[in-house]
Amino acid sequence: MRNGKIIVFTCNWYAYTGLETAGRKHLQYCPSVYPIKVMCLGKLSPGIILKTFEKGAAGVLMLGCLPDECYYTFGNRHAEEIFQVTSRLLRALGYPEKRFKMDRVAPGDGDAWLEKIDSFVVGLNGDQGSS
Amino acid sequence: MSKLKDIIDRNRAWYCLECGKCSAVCPITPWETRVYSSPRLLVEKALNGNLENIFDDPLFWSCLTCKRCSELCPSDVFFSEFVRDARQLARSNGRSGDCTHGEAIQTWARMMTAPDLDQSRLEWLNKDLKISDDSDTLYFVGCLPYYDILFRSLGIEGVEIARAAVKILNALGVEPHVLHDERCCGHDQIWEGDTETFSALARLNLERIKATGAKRVVTTCPECARTLSLDYPKLVEDHGLEVMHLSRFIRQQSPDSEMNLSLQKMDGTATYQDACRLSRHLGVYEDPRALIIATGLDLVEMEHMRHASLCCGTTGWTSCGKVSKNIQVERLREAKATGADIMITSCVKCQIHLKCAQQDPELGQELSIKIRDLTTVLADRL
Repeated sequence: MRNGKIIVFTCNWYAYTGLETAGRKHLQYCPSVYPIKVMCLGKLSPGIILKTFEKGAAGVLMLGCLPDECYYTFGNRHAEEIFQVTSRLLRALGYPEKRFKMDRVAPGDGDAWLEKIDSFVVGLNGDQGSS
Repeated sequence: MSKLKDIIDRNRAWYCLECGKCSAVCPITPWETRVYSSPRLLVEKALNGNLENIFDDPLFWSCLTCKRCSELCPSDVFFSEFVRDARQLARSNGRSGDCTHGEAIQTWARMMTAPDLDQSRLEWLNKDLKISDDSDTLYFVGCLPYYDILFRSLGIEGVEIARAAVKILNALGVEPHVLHDERCCGHDQIWEGDTETFSALARLNLERIKATGAKRVVTTCPECARTLSLDYPKLVEDHGLEVMHLSRFIRQQSPDSEMNLSLQKMDGTATYQDACRLSRHLGVYEDPRALIIATGLDLVEMEHMRHASLCCGTTGWTSCGKVSKNIQVERLREAKATGADIMITSCVKCQIHLKCAQQDPELGQELSIKIRDLTTVLADRL
């Protein structure tokens, strides 16, 4: 039950500001990408990510802040743990590694945001990310 | 879908005498302080026929279906089964319990209903463990590889239990089948009213088990043992397989008191936590105890034991909260009071829930007792 959607969980303080800059600069990215803003990636859980796949997502990318620069201090450590546990669960369920990744973007860096999205989409589909 | 009247009929709720014995022993009732809630009262609400009153009762979703009440009911009301069947009705009315752990466990169970899922769930097997494609015995691993990942931070034994089980079976001269595409047995789904997912999982499991040609299924999870032996034949298909918990299988292989397993003796005292599915649901009380004694450990019992034992506080990964925590703390205090060096369980869920309660920074020291699975304790002594 693949619906082809690519869900990108973006943290409010870093990755989302990258998305806003990309928007202001009218940078284009793959239309299958659905960014979802959360205050911190550390508030996600393996359950919500598994559910994203259950509902048919083609891929999920966790896009957060740079190491040691979490707005909440501890959030990116939680996010890393959530990513590790969820990756292992997905591997046990037979999902290839390319369908779930985690990456980081500096605040307000629209170009980096686009690059991370493109590289995830290309890894996923093997085709062009942005037009 | 059964109507409420059918559910009442089927589970003998008409016969409730309102004696209140169930309320006196229900592990939930003393801790549920939001509103007075008891099995007797829930049955009364059912007999009055208002569905919403039943579904809104806090006990309706937090009931552990541990069958403690059934042990004392003079009218033989099948209260746990009544709750199970009524939860199916509630689901069809768009109601459900509060899932714990971000619904991860329910979600992976639903994901497992995909017939073409290509799991890699046997990474725990190592070269010392012998399995075979030509055996009359199948070891049903259950969700151990998944629990191992999700609850590793609690320090639980997950795949260690699976390794220990195969090691014990090998020592008994059995090289079991182990399925690479096994699914969750569907226990939590059926007890939480999700019959659709349960049926899909059960059909996939039966298809794969039958394809191996195995005649016997051995599990280390009491829930898998219960579901495969009682629920699959009744609700899916009369499979004709012999299903049993590993402790029963070991004793069947060696009916005399001398075990076929040559266990190294160890010193110390242990107390045993009866898992509700293995004890009250399946009637297995003696086998785990005999095996603990065979290791040389002195077995000391907790205040609530055997038919009266306390559940680990949560079932089906729903409604975990203050009530569950209180039950777990009460159980751990009972274990500590025995003075035992180790608390042995036969169910990974008991271990997860009790070890979770031990994480409490305020009570940590007061509740600290080593908790291990019977299977790993036995395998260590081989």
